[in-house]
Amino acid sequence: MAKVKNKRNAGLADKVHRKKSEGVKKKLNPFEVHINKEKLKVLGKKSKHDRGLPGVSRAKAIQKRKETIGTEMKLLNKTNTFIDRRIGEKSNNLSAEDRMIARFAAERAKQHNKKSIYNLADDEILTHRGQTLEQIEKFDDPRSDDEDEDKPFGGLDDDFVSEGHFGGGILSKTESKDGAKSHKDLIEQLIAESKKRKAEKQKEKEQTLDLTEKLDSEWKDLQPVVFKKQSESLIDKLLADAEKGQDYDKMMRELKFDRRGTPSDALKSTEKQQEEERKKLEEMEKQRQQRMMPEEEMPKTAKPTVKHRSADDLDDNFAFDDEKEIMLAYDKDGKPLLPDHILKDYNVPNAKKKFDDGVSDTSSEEGDEINDESGSDNEVNGEADSEDNDEDEQKFEESKEIDENSNNGSDLKVFESDGDDDKSNSNSEENEKLESSSENKRKRKISKENVKSDKNDEDEIDDDESDADESGDDENEASEDTGSNSDEKEQMDVVEEELGSVFDVKSAEGDKLRELLTGKTPSQQSTALSKLIKSYDPSLSPNNKEILSRLFAHLLQYVHDIFTDLNDEGDIIKAFLIFDKVAPYFYDLIHINKVSTKKFIVELLKEKHDQFKRNPKKVPDLNTLIFFKLVSLLYPTSDFRHPVTTPSLIFMTEILSLSRFKDAYSVSRGLFILTMILEYTVLSKRFVPSALNFLRGIFYLSANTSVLNPVQVVPPFRLHKDSKILNLEQDCSKMEVDDKMSAKDLVCEMDDAFKIKCLHNSVFMLREFFDNYIEIDALKALFEPHMQLLGRIDLEWYPKKIVSKVTKVLQHMKETLETKTYALITREKVRPKALRLYEPDIQEVFTGSKLSKLSRDASERKRLQGKYKKEMKGAIREIRRDKAYIASVKIRQKIQSDNVRKEKVKQIYKDASIQQGELNKLKRGK
Amino acid sequence: MAALQQNFSKMISAQLRSKANDFLNSRKNANNLADIIQLFEAETENFTSVLLAIEVIFTELLKRGDLLQVVVPLKPADQSPEALYKKWLNECYETALTHALQCVKKGKITSRLQALVTLCKLMQAEGNYPLEPLNGYYFPSVRLKNIFNVLLDSEIPMSAPITRFQEFTEYRDVQQFGLKVLTTLAYRKSPSHVFIQNYLELLDKLLALEIPTEVKKAKGKEDDKEDKVLCSSNGKQFPFSPVSCKRYANRCWGFACQWSLCEDPKTHRRALMLLVERLMPLLNKPQLATDMLCDSLDAGGPISMLGLQGVLELVRHHNISYPDIYDRLYAMFEPEMFATRYKKRLIHLADIFLSSTHLPESLVAAFAKRISRLALVASPDDARSLLQIVANLLLRHPALKRMICSEDSPAIMSNDPYVMEETGASRSRALGSSLWEVRALCRHWAPEVTSAATRVLASHNARDPPLSLAPPEDNEQFEAELKKRFKTIEINFIRPDGMCIPSGERLMTYWDLTA
Repeated sequence: MAKVKNKRNAGLADKVHRKKSEGVKKKLNPFEVHINKEKLKVLGKKSKHDRGLPGVSRAKAIQKRKETIGTEMKLLNKTNTFIDRRIGEKSNNLSAEDRMIARFAAERAKQHNKKSIYNLADDEILTHRGQTLEQIEKFDDPRSDDEDEDKPFGGLDDDFVSEGHFGGGILSKTESKDGAKSHKDLIEQLIAESKKRKAEKQKEKEQTLDLTEKLDSEWKDLQPVVFKKQSESLIDKLLADAEKGQDYDKMMRELKFDRRGTPSDALKSTEKQQEEERKKLEEMEKQRQQRMMPEEEMPKTAKPTVKHRSADDLDDNFAFDDEKEIMLAYDKDGKPLLPDHILKDYNVPNAKKKFDDGVSDTSSEEGDEINDESGSDNEVNGEADSEDNDEDEQKFEESKEIDENSNNGSDLKVFESDGDDDKSNSNSEENEKLESSSENKRKRKISKENVKSDKNDEDEIDDDESDADESGDDENEASEDTGSNSDEKEQMDVVEEELGSVFDVKSAEGDKLRELLTGKTPSQQSTALSKLIKSYDPSLSPNNKEILSRLFAHLLQYVHDIFTDLNDEGDIIKAFLIFDKVAPYFYDLIHINKVSTKKFIVELLKEKHDQFKRNPKKVPDLNTLIFFKLVSLLYPTSDFRHPVTTPSLIFMTEILSLSRFKDAYSVSRGLFILTMILEYTVLSKRFVPSALNFLRGIFYLSANTSVLNPVQVVPPFRLHKDSKILNLEQDCSKMEVDDKMSAKDLVCEMDDAFKIKCLHNSVFMLREFFDNYIEIDALKALFEPHMQLLGRIDLEWYPKKIVSKVTKVLQHMKETLETKTYALITREKVRPKALRLYEPDIQEVFTGSKLSKLSRDASERKRLQGKYKKEMKGAIREIRRDKAYIASVKIRQKIQSDNVRKEKVKQIYKDASIQQGELNKLKRGK
Repeated sequence: MAALQQNFSKMISAQLRSKANDFLNSRKNANNLADIIQLFEAETENFTSVLLAIEVIFTELLKRGDLLQVVVPLKPADQSPEALYKKWLNECYETALTHALQCVKKGKITSRLQALVTLCKLMQAEGNYPLEPLNGYYFPSVRLKNIFNVLLDSEIPMSAPITRFQEFTEYRDVQQFGLKVLTTLAYRKSPSHVFIQNYLELLDKLLALEIPTEVKKAKGKEDDKEDKVLCSSNGKQFPFSPVSCKRYANRCWGFACQWSLCEDPKTHRRALMLLVERLMPLLNKPQLATDMLCDSLDAGGPISMLGLQGVLELVRHHNISYPDIYDRLYAMFEPEMFATRYKKRLIHLADIFLSSTHLPESLVAAFAKRISRLALVASPDDARSLLQIVANLLLRHPALKRMICSEDSPAIMSNDPYVMEETGASRSRALGSSLWEVRALCRHWAPEVTSAATRVLASHNARDPPLSLAPPEDNEQFEAELKKRFKTIEINFIRPDGMCIPSGERLMTYWDLTA
């Protein structure tokens, strides 16, 4: 009941309200308007209640109630109601015809509900023999096919049917033998026949059932016999299966406990690998390019963004210096390795003091420092793991090389023996010349060589090597046992070897290495070295790293030794061949221990530099120059500043600007250094004045200058001193000269071929320098003197080939200089500094309330609570008004009914009084 | 062999010492002295031990007063053995001194130096304990004269002994009497170069200790006490008079001026050094040196640099105006200057000369241009100091800023308007040019130079005061570079396959070393 009522009344209020709003707004009657006075005016506030229509709104409210609660009251306690749902019945603006049409359309629409809009014949249900297809497809009884075979017409045979149904007539009657049977008989016959058939059928059915049962039981008996054989085999099978299962388990467990490869990316294809390799190289190249820039020009993006910017920030880039993060590392003895000032600041316990100026220090402290360094290596080279892979690869390559080398070995042997002979001969010659101290050294070396040269068999070498390794191991262990003191000492020794120009090595390692390497072909040496390095791989033992860094020092020494006192072309070639093979191992070794190897090489450079400084007029020999090449092999020469390459570049420029170049020895070495400087700066294209000055000097020496017509020269070359030493004194235009400088030029005396080669190569290097500096604006100022000097060389005496090349270079330079333009240096356009903008402080919603201070949830809750309260108040008020309305209606009803009653009473009284009056009249009449 | 000789000489010196001691201990061993003096005639290079023995003996004798001879007038010479002995001792003393003087000239250098020291020591002893009883201050000028006579030899360059003598010229009395003695020795007509050399050197050393000028004198009362005096043991005050010193110095220079100082460049240089470094403040009329200085300016090379310093002195303190001093300075900036010893002096002087803000722009611009051109061929250290000058020029002369940031429309020229060959600085049209050289130096290989050059280029809106030139650094670039600390040690990323670097190999393109 209630449901119905609800349904009936649902949305009544809404409906009423809607009807209201649809109505056209009436014009306000100004007398009805009541203006609410505003006490506080708030700007931008929308006031809803500035004016009101009290009468109107009250009337509205009453009307609303009348339509909602009023009707509800009318229907109160009434169980039934009529609802007129005829379409268009209530609306008055529809004519009767329209109403009809609308109703028909609704009816049609009802048929076409949306679901079946495309299924046109959906309402027809397809049947088969009176059954729907769904019913047919149920297949209820499996045995029903028996019945299906029943004949039509209830199983009556044709005779009977034809007789009974269609018979009759005269002709057929006469044919009947037993006379006409009565209809009753016929029916009885029919019944009997059908009964009989039914019984037959029943019987048949029972028989088949019996037979089936019988068959089943028989089969059951037979079953064990039939399956006996099979069952046995089955058991076997099962057992085997079980075993198999165990195998499987076992295998599974084995697999489970087997060491698993860590999940990694899929094996990369070679192209992918190459791609990655290429990317890595590109990245490295990019980094190198970046290092090439001076610090000031570093891209600003690298600058770390400031975390916090105060509102008082004046934008003047003032920042408190962040404390630099220092990696705390410990050396072997567990003492922290930190720079001095930090030690002071933080008062680190146990810390060792470090001395920067090693000159005044005693040697023990030096040893300490080295110790520290090596300690820090382990920390610094944390990437050793990542390098392992590389190393592995390298090893692989090396092993390949070894194979190749072993093949090549036999070929090279011939050469080697020749070289050895040469060397020993030259050595014996040298010995006579040499001073007493170096004499001993030489002799010892030779004796070793002789010993070695007897056994060239590789197996023996291997044996030796392993011996050496073992002994090295032993030594190392022993030294470790004796404690850190001896260890330090040993390292000191190593350093001393580097420092002291006396080359009798105290520790046996250096000797062994020399023993290992001398008297072999370069490729054999390379093989031996690679084996040696591999056997001391840092992954095998923790102190192998240190051993390898010592090996580095010894190798430096070895290279130094092979380049010392070379007076023969063959010797030089041999030395360079050895260096060629040995150099890659330097690279491997510095990868293993960056810091200490750098230390060794820097010490070596320093020693060489000191030697040079003692007599700066003399150009250092090959045993110094070769290390410049080594440095450029190992370290990036293009860096703006590098701990190794910068000092060696300084060294080279000092040689070029301080030494005197006055004979073939110095000039050839100067050219060697010049080439190295070119190599150092070819990538960075840095400007090296002393190289250009040297070139200028070379041209000066080869130019035909006279006292009368002097040219400007730059130090270290001096006017009218050593001039014309490279000048050709005779016509050599028919001479055949090699293009390149050769080892011979490092030892030969000044001859025409040398002069020609010098000029040729210096002109080409000039061109290269020129091309390197082509972006420099002051190019003309740099190269004009060179061109002037080149113009004064008697080119007609040089070979035609060379003359044409030189003129080509000159032509090139001239053309470039002519086309060179000069733009005034202008101030770099500075981008205007953007106004400083702060991030706006956005708060979620400005409510003006205190809610915003609360948390999100709490404020939401509070808001809802406020809303609830407000609604509640409103609802209560409405209810109160409803009640008032109801009361008013009730009182009105009551008054009305009272009035009716009073009327009625009055009427009764009236009637009664009339009656009484009439009665009285009658009485009086009587 | 050398060791053996050393051993021998050691033995001799030991013997000699014992002999000397014996002699001093008793008169019985008087012959020892004669023996020792005899040794001077020996054919040897090294007289050190003998000299030492002589020194010991006579210092002791002088101290004892054994050599003191009292000559009473109108009294016949004393013939007592004591007097005779004294006379003999005196004779020995004289002979020993003459021998020692000869030793200064011959033998090994150490022995020569020792002879000089011995002579000076004996002179000191004699000054303290005069041979004749005297009152007041006594300085053995005769001995000093003898020494000077030897030092001013006409054939042998005496630079080593004279340098050694410097340790004695630190004494005020030696300085004063030395100058006085030198005036007496100086008068010579056309002396040899060697003599002039020695003379100038000696004068230089004598003036090494600064002679206070009048202004200083008032303040310098207390300083006088600190002045060292060689012969002062008797507590007698040595009357030092700067005025007379100045007079003597002037006279010495006056004599020197009469010689042909300017013929030999070495002498010339030395004379200029002496004049510029020591004498200028002392001379009464420094203007007289103007001619010499101007001649030196024309000579070129280091001599003109020194001359320049003298002229600067004259210009600054003596109101001398020199017509084209700036052109001369301009001409000195040649690549050859790097080879000279005085390049730092030149750079320093140039900075002073160009510090005037009243110079015409074109002139300063020419200097800036020329100096930066020069920096292109200079060694890193020189390049840095040259760049510093350029930076100072830019700071002092704001008009020069157009050379690093021209405000004109960026015209593209086919040539540098600056003419390097032009001798007149103002005519070289440098103002129209830009400092492209400095920009080239921004690509210098040495990091310091690069940063210095960038600083110069970045100074267009700097208003810093011009920096004084950095004092010459003794520690070398190489060492300094080695001391730098690096965070990482970068390594080539491609493994070399032999002695060829994969990218940028040049050695192998120009050298064929393995075949």
